[in-house]
Amino acid sequence: MITGGSGLPKDSLQLTAMIMAYILINGIFYLMVLSIKTDKYRSLLFVIYAVCFVITFISNLVEVRGSMIVTQEDMVQGHTPFCHMVIPMIIVPAALTRTIIFPGSMLEGFAAIGTMLVLWLGASIVLGRGWCSWACFYGGLDEGFSRIAKKPTIKNINKKWTYLPFAILLVIVLTSAATLSPTYCAWLCPFKAVTEFEEISSSTILLQTIIFFSLFIGLVIVLPILTKRRIQCGLFCPMGAFQSLTNKFNIFEVRIDPEKCAQCNLCVKTCPTFSLDEESVRSGKSRITCTKCGKCIDSCPKQAVSFHIKGTPLGVNFEAARLIFIYPAFLFLAVMGSGMITGAIYRALLLATTGSMIK
Amino acid sequence: MKYMKGFLLGLANGTFCLAYCAPILVPYLLSEAKDTKRNYIILSYFLSGRLLGYFAFAVLAWITNVTVIQNLANRTAILGVVYIALAILLMVYGFINKEQHCAAGLFGTLKNKMSDRYQALLPAALGLLTGLNLCPPFLLAFAAAAANDSLWNCILFFLAFFIGTSVYFTPLTAIGLFRRHDFLRPIGRLAVGALGVYYIYFGFVTIQRSIHSLWIPAETIRVQAEVRLKRLSLPCPCS
Repeated sequence: MITGGSGLPKDSLQLTAMIMAYILINGIFYLMVLSIKTDKYRSLLFVIYAVCFVITFISNLVEVRGSMIVTQEDMVQGHTPFCHMVIPMIIVPAALTRTIIFPGSMLEGFAAIGTMLVLWLGASIVLGRGWCSWACFYGGLDEGFSRIAKKPTIKNINKKWTYLPFAILLVIVLTSAATLSPTYCAWLCPFKAVTEFEEISSSTILLQTIIFFSLFIGLVIVLPILTKRRIQCGLFCPMGAFQSLTNKFNIFEVRIDPEKCAQCNLCVKTCPTFSLDEESVRSGKSRITCTKCGKCIDSCPKQAVSFHIKGTPLGVNFEAARLIFIYPAFLFLAVMGSGMITGAIYRALLLATTGSMIK
Repeated sequence: MKYMKGFLLGLANGTFCLAYCAPILVPYLLSEAKDTKRNYIILSYFLSGRLLGYFAFAVLAWITNVTVIQNLANRTAILGVVYIALAILLMVYGFINKEQHCAAGLFGTLKNKMSDRYQALLPAALGLLTGLNLCPPFLLAFAAAAANDSLWNCILFFLAFFIGTSVYFTPLTAIGLFRRHDFLRPIGRLAVGALGVYYIYFGFVTIQRSIHSLWIPAETIRVQAEVRLKRLSLPCPCS
């Protein structure tokens, strides 16, 4: 899977990078299974994956286009890479007009629309909103920043803000249908700052670029450091809100055993996406927004929190449920991440040997 | 026959009007969490405001004989101001919690009285501001209305156009069926506020564009367009 089905590379640097990525991914999985700590090792690989994604993506763009800037020509020719953030915005216009409102390619080239849709659909069926902690290539960035500080500076966040991602989802779905353009990508995506952005040829595009960078600094760097939570994922991302709906039909969930629970609320305090509250502790169920990261499971001193397969008895064979979940979840993380990690290691090796990350 | 044309124009382009108004109406109706019957009343306030906006344009069309609106700079400037007014209204509604300030005493009573009136005023104001939206079908109607000889004919033409477009709004009242889902209320309210932020961007960008088009000579704009189209390898329609 790491080779992407194309066999081992002939270039020695690429082969070295691939072997290093293989050892890293398998080593982390081995430790995850062995130590019974899901989040500890997941987060490590998830953050590496996100950082490597940025390195690989930008290097590829610079190699192909000469810069991170996407021009009008690239858009007209459908050379814009498609990312999963666009999915909620394309559904209504596709149903009404039979058109994908994104300047990308359906099947050809890097990050084609069809490839991304198939990956997302598969992950949604298997993981539900687990996508956001096991497959999303952006999530690791704010997760990484949320783990920098030892203690949170901002502790109390009004619960009403947990509805904001759903509100933004509603707004972008309606405005995209009205304007037949992906409004989130045009105005709100913080990750444009670390992927690609439009050529600044007008004051409107300048304003949009300022917004992208401000949102990135605010939501992905500053607030996660201050709150020790994944603010972008938990309080802003409309794709996350959309993905929450898939938790309804997904068989995996996180449950709290009321008999073991000491009501210490440590799980509530540590949940990075605000998916546990006092009501969840009482009812024993996480909220619909749970990303199945496993942080609450790792942090519970009484082992009252566990992965659970819907329809099976609670508190029985929780290690089996964990393994049944982490095998497919980790597989997605490895499939999505291996190419990025290999790519980033290769770029680092290239830099070390030739003095440039670009071929 | 003239009014029939207005009605058919509205009927043919009503989906465009719905597309422009639904982003405001849907979150607003969700946030109010009223039943279907009550939603009809809210919708009637909204549509009344929109009708008022249409009549304002009917008068303008008759007085100016289209010249003001045909000027690109004026058109975008008006639109920008309308967007900003709409944005302020949406943000106040979406982000300021009216219940929070409802303390007892004189202020509380006054606030409650205001709230009762505000229930009718807000959708009407939203309707008025979206009614002033210069979307393409509306401009078509505007041009047709301006060709009418009297003010009365102009107003009747816009009334016919309004009735034609309003047909498409009635299904939105079905949002009332979801009112028992409590979580939809804060989502709707925050969505209204977020939409306000979106329209603020839009308003400023639109005004900035109109100022830009006033200051840049037409020849420069033509040359810029030619350069851009050349880069896209497309023929320039202006040459």
